[in-house]
Amino acid sequence: MPLLFATPRGDLTILGKLRQVNWGLILLIAVVSSIGFAMLYSAAGGRWDPWASRQMYRFGVGFVLLLVVAVVDLRVWYRFAYALYFVALVLLVAVEVAGRIGMGAQRWLDVGFLQLQPSELMKISLVLVLARWFHGLTLEDVGRPLSLVWPTVLVLAPAVLVAKQPDLGSALLLLLMSAIVYFVAGVRLWKFAAIAATAGAVIPLAWNHLRDYQKQRVLTFLNPENDPLGSGYHIIQSKIALGSGGMWGKGFMQGTQSHLQFLPEKQTDFIFTMLSEEWGFVGGLTLIGLYVLILLYGAAISLRARSQFGRLVAVGIVSSFYIYAFINIAMVMGMLPVVGEPLPLVSYGGTAMMTLLIGFGMLINVYVHRDLQIGRHGQTPEA
Amino acid sequence: MATRLGDVLRALPAKLRLEGEAKLAIEIAHHRLAVTGVLFLLAFSVVALRLVDVTVLKEGHEPRLAHLPRAAGLDIERADIVDRNGELLATSLSTASLYANPKMVSDPADAAAKLVRAIPGLEAKEIAARLGSDRSFVWIKRNLTPRQQYAVNRLGIPGLFFQPEERRVYPHGSLVAHIVGYTGIDNHGLAGIEQSMEERLRSSNEPLQLSIDIRFQHIVREELARAVEEFQAIGGAGIVLDVATGEVLALVSLPDFDPNSPGTAEGDARFNRVSLGTYEMGSIFKIFTAAVALDSGTVTLRDGYDATQPIKISRFTISDFHPQRRFLTVPEIFMHSSNIGAAKMAVDVGTQRQREFLGRVGLLRPASIELPEVGAPLVPSPWREINTMTIAFGHGISVSPMQVATATAAVIDGGVMRPSTILKRADGAPVPSQRVVSARTSEQMRRLMRLVVERGTGKPASVPGYLVGGKTGTAEKIVNGRYAKNARISSFVGAFPMNAPRFVILTMLDEPKGSKATFGFATGGWVAAPAVGRLVARLAPIAGIGLVDENAPELREQMFINAAVR
Repeated sequence: MPLLFATPRGDLTILGKLRQVNWGLILLIAVVSSIGFAMLYSAAGGRWDPWASRQMYRFGVGFVLLLVVAVVDLRVWYRFAYALYFVALVLLVAVEVAGRIGMGAQRWLDVGFLQLQPSELMKISLVLVLARWFHGLTLEDVGRPLSLVWPTVLVLAPAVLVAKQPDLGSALLLLLMSAIVYFVAGVRLWKFAAIAATAGAVIPLAWNHLRDYQKQRVLTFLNPENDPLGSGYHIIQSKIALGSGGMWGKGFMQGTQSHLQFLPEKQTDFIFTMLSEEWGFVGGLTLIGLYVLILLYGAAISLRARSQFGRLVAVGIVSSFYIYAFINIAMVMGMLPVVGEPLPLVSYGGTAMMTLLIGFGMLINVYVHRDLQIGRHGQTPEA
Repeated sequence: MATRLGDVLRALPAKLRLEGEAKLAIEIAHHRLAVTGVLFLLAFSVVALRLVDVTVLKEGHEPRLAHLPRAAGLDIERADIVDRNGELLATSLSTASLYANPKMVSDPADAAAKLVRAIPGLEAKEIAARLGSDRSFVWIKRNLTPRQQYAVNRLGIPGLFFQPEERRVYPHGSLVAHIVGYTGIDNHGLAGIEQSMEERLRSSNEPLQLSIDIRFQHIVREELARAVEEFQAIGGAGIVLDVATGEVLALVSLPDFDPNSPGTAEGDARFNRVSLGTYEMGSIFKIFTAAVALDSGTVTLRDGYDATQPIKISRFTISDFHPQRRFLTVPEIFMHSSNIGAAKMAVDVGTQRQREFLGRVGLLRPASIELPEVGAPLVPSPWREINTMTIAFGHGISVSPMQVATATAAVIDGGVMRPSTILKRADGAPVPSQRVVSARTSEQMRRLMRLVVERGTGKPASVPGYLVGGKTGTAEKIVNGRYAKNARISSFVGAFPMNAPRFVILTMLDEPKGSKATFGFATGGWVAAPAVGRLVARLAPIAGIGLVDENAPELREQMFINAAVR
């Protein structure tokens, strides 16, 4: 497999690549994840079981995957983009056909040794195919509406499948992330305006196709006090917890809202609330600050990449990460409906952790191969 | 701008154009990347601002509800009972009772086994039998605890139902047992105020306010229990009466029971010795003998009777417990509790006047308090001269301690009789009153009662500074038709401060035994009077009654008896 670990200038060994790895970014990721471990330790009432220990174990496995993904030659990912994408798509269809119902929604595929969530795999492979598609286009090509048909099919197919599961949050994430990749790839601005206008027209229609609980969530978002003990319960309890945290918080393991079980899903979706209750505004802001630093790292890597493929991969990965964080934090503060997206790197959950670390592996890969030039059609240009 | 640059580029030569286009593509990408990044940061700033809002500005501090989830006004079956200061004595608790429709229960044995596990104390066989009967309604268990109700709900057995019910709860337990009484399983009053005020408690949700002061009640019960234990009495009674209004401030009968589970009461614990029990009260009756004699003018304080010899009348002999064997003045008769003197005094008053007077002070009819447990006095019929003589020192007539306390209050409070009540009188409401003796007689009686505590049989009730007065009483109980030497009713009725009485306090011990400390004596002066003394010492500060100098000239003058007393 000479190609698999081929080096940008042909002179970097795997060891050399590891030296190129962006260790500052990895440190940031580790710090954020550690905040997660601490919160999970607190959520379990000061015990490593059942959450913190497993999360750490997954982080360990995911970290190895991150390094592997990072040092594989970028062109390998370029080459296998479609393969990965179609595998993910087939799995999504398989979920639709034979998926296990978990938490009232079909999201999981049981393949014996592990439970797979194809929508997570899709989040990464969609970034790869979109990046590959736009990499192959000249700026002039991008300007042609027809050249956008194929990538749009690539985006809508999984988005519709995921939405049908129903996992509206992930579907929205796929759409938003793709829109950002389109934008950075240079798609004309008026097209975004047209899509926005169409979306505005479609929303009333789409409303009728939402499930009852989804409608309820939106209505609850608009006025959580409507049903304080029912669907508004989560968000009201969350706001009480945030408010009771104040500036400096109640202290580690001292959050009453979370430890007295008023706050639901405190180890997953509402972990940010718990963090803010125990560590206050300062704690919440610190975490947001760390996310911003990761975001800046991602932006810098994207700017520094010489190939359009690498640049767009970086943009897609960082955007997904950002959208996750934004949706979750905005949700627990009542700025968005409760859609059930986890807080990246902090919330308890194996698949999300794996996806994120693999994604960051991809981002670091782009950094390691920042000077690698890839031709329009994937060939390596002569130096 | 992009398109304009594009137009420019298109005019360039091919090779240049290619390079230029690639550069432009990168430029656009960088440009848009920056825009995206700025947008991201802006969005995060909004989130951070919101975080300030919800954490520091306390936006979410308290749930601001459009409709406060206020509990609907409780529609209770029985109103609460409270003491004169609003302290809760009886209240209602909503509970659920479990019943079943056996026709809907598919597997009685299995259901019974599960129920027994959920509700401890049930008998599996019996429950199975009930569930297997062919009726369509059977009670399983009344008044479940919330935990039990939850456990039964979790069983999910079809055919079981809950009937919302109420249960009476008495936060003070046995402390007010004989006053509030208790209710049965159907929430109907079976004793005490619960029974007598049944209609009032059901017709209004307003709490029913009693005249009882729970602080007084507590102190009286404690001191009485102490006396009962010290002298190994089989029971006791204690009353504190507000002289000015006739309100009962404390009413204790021992032994008592827990009204929360009246079924567990032992022996005669549910017997109210204060109002239901009637007793020969003994020498306490000399209060009434002296009062009627002074009031009718047959004697004055300076007059007296010869008490050298016991009186023999038909087969009875009337003798003195503390024989002085000399001529005694009226105050001396009272102070030394001379039966001979009292009997002679009563004979002078006459049977008719004595009976009339006892009727006026309520000793010949049941006590007026609003309890169902009110005993009718045992009155001699016919009422002969011999009865007049024995009644003079409290034998041959049985009355309840409640009657005695009320009558004593009438005699010492200016001679005005006020029916006693256990319900709080509204502030400023007129108190029904009836004159029974003249104000002058009443004043003389106060001096006599003070004398008893100062120099006579009631000395143990004395509390320096509170000007206590009173009268002791000891009567032998009739056991199997004859007076028993060692079964006594020993009592003391006191009042203070004697120059202007505020409270009448009565203590009575049923069959007390003498102790070493009392040199074997178990008479009223030895066993009941000290309890009254302790009560005065503890109640006076709560009632706001200050100490006085008992030797102050004006008080000495008020209590002075212008007669030979030794």
